[in-house]
Amino acid sequence: MGLTYTTSIDKKPTLKSRVKSLGRGTKQTRIVRALDDVNLDVQFGHVLGVIGTNGAGKSSLMRCVAGILPPSQGRIEVYGTVSTLLALGVGFNPSMSGRDNVFLGGLAAGMSREEIANNFEEIAEFSELGDAIDAPMRTYSSGMYARLAFSVAAVVRPDILIIDEALSTGDAKFKEKSLNRVKELRSDDRALILVSHAMQTLRDTCNDVVWLHKGKLVQRGEPNVVIDAYQEFLHLGKSAVIDEDF
Amino acid sequence: MSTPLQVYEPFRAGLPKLGRYWKSLWARRTFIKEYSKSELREQHFDSVFGQLWLVLNPLLLSGVYFILIVIIGGATDSARYAHLTASLFLFYLVSNSLTGGVKSVTAGQRLILNTAFPRIMLPISAVVIAIFKFLPTLIVLVAVKVVLGSPFTLEMLWAIPVLLITIFLALALAIAISCVNVYFRDIASFLPYLTRTLLYLSPILYEASALKSSLKLIETFNPLFPILDSWSRAMVHGQAPQLSSMLEGLAWATGIFFVGTYFFLSREREFAVRL
Repeated sequence: MGLTYTTSIDKKPTLKSRVKSLGRGTKQTRIVRALDDVNLDVQFGHVLGVIGTNGAGKSSLMRCVAGILPPSQGRIEVYGTVSTLLALGVGFNPSMSGRDNVFLGGLAAGMSREEIANNFEEIAEFSELGDAIDAPMRTYSSGMYARLAFSVAAVVRPDILIIDEALSTGDAKFKEKSLNRVKELRSDDRALILVSHAMQTLRDTCNDVVWLHKGKLVQRGEPNVVIDAYQEFLHLGKSAVIDEDF
Repeated sequence: MSTPLQVYEPFRAGLPKLGRYWKSLWARRTFIKEYSKSELREQHFDSVFGQLWLVLNPLLLSGVYFILIVIIGGATDSARYAHLTASLFLFYLVSNSLTGGVKSVTAGQRLILNTAFPRIMLPISAVVIAIFKFLPTLIVLVAVKVVLGSPFTLEMLWAIPVLLITIFLALALAIAISCVNVYFRDIASFLPYLTRTLLYLSPILYEASALKSSLKLIETFNPLFPILDSWSRAMVHGQAPQLSSMLEGLAWATGIFFVGTYFFLSREREFAVRL
């Protein structure tokens, strides 16, 4: 599959330049090839890690798999329900309390009111917010916000779970807790796709790792092999595979 | 599982599978309601009166026009004041739907980029918010009728189908304009002028029967004209509205709904890229 889109560039967003460009009928655009001929599959019971530098196409790939972005080429087949943790606090309203936002966030994630109510105690306990759960979220620190958001998202039990760099939230204790929750979610009837810059997490958790660079799939294989190659690329700034193809 | 539950292919303009789409939208009805309520709560969050503004707004608006028409204008005909108040409240249901709807998709960027859900939920939420704002005006309207001694008749029940047609039209307009805004962001800046023009071209500051014959084109090409006339007849004068007016209003609402919804549904998969 591939993902290509055109974005307009407004180098000088001033009134004068806008009038001039309207008169000329021109607009500068740039073609972005976010993903280029990426072929991969993930089986149930597997955890796939996705690594790459910023702008490699990791988040774009996750959004395509989740059905948020349509691919420009190719086809994506999904054999189960998908839940995503691409950003924390989606659907949250900062002026409302943490308790109300648990319902909002859960509803945004596709859960029913009954499901959220049944899991509320588990969510509240996991977030470790205590009485603060009834305070408006605008009074929360970024760590508290992230903990509650992760707690809501982690209670969903889909067939396919996509997590995009959400494990780096909170303090060290909560990071360990959230990583343990991800490990609990590994099961024979679930597929996990994990995007992260935390290499040790990926080594410990994943069956396979995929390395993306500038929208292309560079390497896929054993976590230690791929991560070592990636880290060498980062340290040396080059790789034989990358030089040939890019 | 040998058959994929979902297949994603390159975007081509065309409708999604409507049965599955509406099922998915119906499953989100609780989220639509809660999302709308939370947006409404946020609008007056930091103010002293808070949610009381839902009642204060129509009361103050009614008061301003009372000063304009009765005190400054010296009008003795209470029906004129009642007509203006009633029509204005219904007009604001539509204009609030437009104002909320135009930015509903672009303002929902975070939701759109991070969650898969039927995007039509966003303009629907804008209309739900407009309805929440409209409901307290009915209380004010009843109070105005009582104070002015306007008749309460059984024919006032015709206001219910008129209101339903208005909500249908408001929804149709919100869906259409929310999609247009994704491609042409300037529409949000043009909108206040469009709604102001629509206000003057609608029978709000004047009764429909007072419109000169040379200006009948306004009546023909304004979708709000027949609906506001029907509303005033039912709510203010306690009479049954003309069936032709209601059917005309319904025809406008249905036409705009089908065109706007087709345009929206056929392009919604592209929104995440556009945003």
